[in-house]
Amino acid sequence: MKPTSKFGVLVLVAPAVLIYGFAVVAPFVGTLGLSLTRWNGFNLPEFAGAANFSRAFHDKIFISSFGHVTFYIVATLFVEVLFGLILSGFLSSHRFMGFPRVALFIPVMLPMVVIAVLWGAVFNPDYGVLNAAMGSLGFEGMQKVWLGDPKLALPAICLVSGWIFSGFYMAIFNAAFARLPTDVIESARLDGAGEFRVFWRIKVPMIRQVTSVAILLCITGGIQGFDLFYVMTNGGPYNTTEVPTTYMVKSVFRDMEIGYGSALSVLLTVVGLVVAIVFRTVQKSRQTEVEY
Amino acid sequence: MRKISVWTAIVWIYSLFSMLPLLWMFMSAFKSNGEIAAHPLGLPTQFDFSVFSDAWEAGGLGRYAINSAIVTAASTSLVLVVASMAGFALSKLEFRGSGLVMGIFTLGLLLPIQSYFIAQNQIFEVFNLKDTRMALIVPYTAMGIPLAVWLFKSYIDSMPRELFEAARVDGTTDLEIYRYLMVPIIRPALVTVGIFTALGAWNEFLLALLYVQDDSLKTIPTGLLAFSSKYVTDYRMLFAALTMVTVPMIAIYVAFNRQIVSGLTQGSVKG
Repeated sequence: MKPTSKFGVLVLVAPAVLIYGFAVVAPFVGTLGLSLTRWNGFNLPEFAGAANFSRAFHDKIFISSFGHVTFYIVATLFVEVLFGLILSGFLSSHRFMGFPRVALFIPVMLPMVVIAVLWGAVFNPDYGVLNAAMGSLGFEGMQKVWLGDPKLALPAICLVSGWIFSGFYMAIFNAAFARLPTDVIESARLDGAGEFRVFWRIKVPMIRQVTSVAILLCITGGIQGFDLFYVMTNGGPYNTTEVPTTYMVKSVFRDMEIGYGSALSVLLTVVGLVVAIVFRTVQKSRQTEVEY
Repeated sequence: MRKISVWTAIVWIYSLFSMLPLLWMFMSAFKSNGEIAAHPLGLPTQFDFSVFSDAWEAGGLGRYAINSAIVTAASTSLVLVVASMAGFALSKLEFRGSGLVMGIFTLGLLLPIQSYFIAQNQIFEVFNLKDTRMALIVPYTAMGIPLAVWLFKSYIDSMPRELFEAARVDGTTDLEIYRYLMVPIIRPALVTVGIFTALGAWNEFLLALLYVQDDSLKTIPTGLLAFSSKYVTDYRMLFAALTMVTVPMIAIYVAFNRQIVSGLTQGSVKG
């Protein structure tokens, strides 16, 4: 449809473009530019070429932060996506699941910081409920300084993440299962297929599209992880929970290395985009069946 | 043909079990610091509500809540207005540059905060926006725009052209069509976008941490963090604050759970 006036189009489109351009596009381009400089935020930025990038490739903490985030992503694929899928499977095949359906989603809508502070208290060695519960059940030997132990801190964060987001993926799968046509499932049941077979052989393959979106969300969301890490451990103990974003924030806001931080940000963005593109390509090349 | 089996019980038990941290938080708010440390699992012995008003007033939780409410209300209404206008124009009007605008917003769906917050911080410093409410309202609005535009555009795409052309016959302008025809019929999309934008703004942490140091302007996430380091040994206050932040949200969620679940899942899945 032809617009009545150019002015009308301008009024409709300009506000969104201007706000977005000012607060996202310009800073995005600016971060790309800053990644090629050395800058402490006070003097003038100095052009540094690719120096920041070659430094990043030799920065042990930065490289290990990718290792930690990979661990986190793999773990959360299990405790968030797979567990959410299984929960949703039970919800979709059983009655009286109203309470689990509502309750398990609660953590998703609460602020992550609040959850991180709460779980920090749960894990607290002095008054935390976890050690207290272990003590009263007779497992004194398993009482730990959870978030202060280099071996346990990262798994503990993954567990909290699972506590939050398994409910989120469950909700996504609930919606997908609810859309499935019932005739195929009913006829499989009539043929004598048990509930587990119906789930893994029929229902799960039928929602493949949704599952791959969920996996992609879990990966791209995981790469950007920050809140839980910052509040629960802030990268410690001994950098064992350092993830790219916590390290980036330290480089820029603690060490005042704005150019270097920007290079880290560019690398993180590139990794994220590459993962997303590769994932989509692989997924498209495998698409053969009818979609639901 | 749904059934009941031993799994019904197992899923119920798991759900109750996973609510325990929240239950422990409620109970601890009523216990004394000594009781919390000595008997973390014990039940409260008395119900003294004064700790809540202490946390709200002396702890500054009330101020954080007001700041969150202002920032959330402002950024959500801005997103709803500017993104629905742009979505309408991009869907139904032919103009030069529409492909470019749509392209920029589509790219925006892929950009994480991490790809731009460093230079954004510098720009906000130049414009003296840091330590103001605008330092949060502006980026929260901007971050919400791409997905909101995309959702509004697809919602309006599904409406017949004839509807708009009929309105056009009477000489109605585009702005009038937007105001009197569009806004009423896109109400369901406004609700969805409103829910995920508002919750996103209410819960956002990274930018709030970096851009607002002034305690009187902090929002709930950063405020609660400041609160938790201020009352690091006053466990009772900490649990009271956590309770006061979570209970109203849980109450709202239970009342509107269908809309909130579908709003939040659509808000992330479609992006």
